[in-house]
Amino acid sequence: MIMMLPFLTALIATWFAMRGQRTSSIGLWMVTLLIYVAWMKYHMTDSLNISL
Amino acid sequence: MTTQSQQSESSLKSISAFFNQLALLAVCGTLIEAFFYQFAFNELPCPLCQLQRVALILVGLALLLNVKFGASTTHYAMILVASLVGAATSLRQVLLHIAPNDAGYGSPFLGIHFYTWGFIFFVGMIAYCAVMLIIDRNNMSNSARKVAVGAIGTFIIGLFFVLAAANTVSSVMVCKFGPCPDNPTEYAIKF
Repeated sequence: MIMMLPFLTALIATWFAMRGQRTSSIGLWMVTLLIYVAWMKYHMTDSLNISL
Repeated sequence: MTTQSQQSESSLKSISAFFNQLALLAVCGTLIEAFFYQFAFNELPCPLCQLQRVALILVGLALLLNVKFGASTTHYAMILVASLVGAATSLRQVLLHIAPNDAGYGSPFLGIHFYTWGFIFFVGMIAYCAVMLIIDRNNMSNSARKVAVGAIGTFIIGLFFVLAAANTVSSVMVCKFGPCPDNPTEYAIKF
């Protein structure tokens, strides 16, 4: 899991938005979201140490 | 009557632009505050902290699109989705430290840990969208045409870009080009 990858894609999406390329920016925003969800599965699916 | 209606729509557009810039500034402030604790107190971000920063940037990017291209249902939907995944990540971290005698991760701010603040922020952004969707109900645009942005708006957009870039560099410094340790204590790359 490359932690810097979603930061990089979000940065490029921001650059596209600043340059006025809305469609490319939204496309890369969606790519970032997909990476985010994959990283969520990697980091957030261990069992919690909670007993009731 | 038509003139009055046009004036009302115009003032609503101004209100919308103002609030979107203000919200983007709030995102920038949150990212700056995270950096302050990282560098001033050497509190390195854990993987979940890094993911919350990404969610903040995703929220900020959608706000930036609102500022740059005008309010749009697509942009508000992007804020909602990013806030939901961000809130889920924050909540997961809250649950990791919810057991009695758990000191939590990092320093608290005003008695609350940053992941809890993160959850409050993301829920706040969902509420923000609810209000803005009412304000902007007649001003939605889905065109790629840029709208005029003043000096303050341009500054905030520039600040957001610098913070997004700084976060990318920071993530490389903490994790190099791989996964992050669960509890990082020192930078993987030192200058």
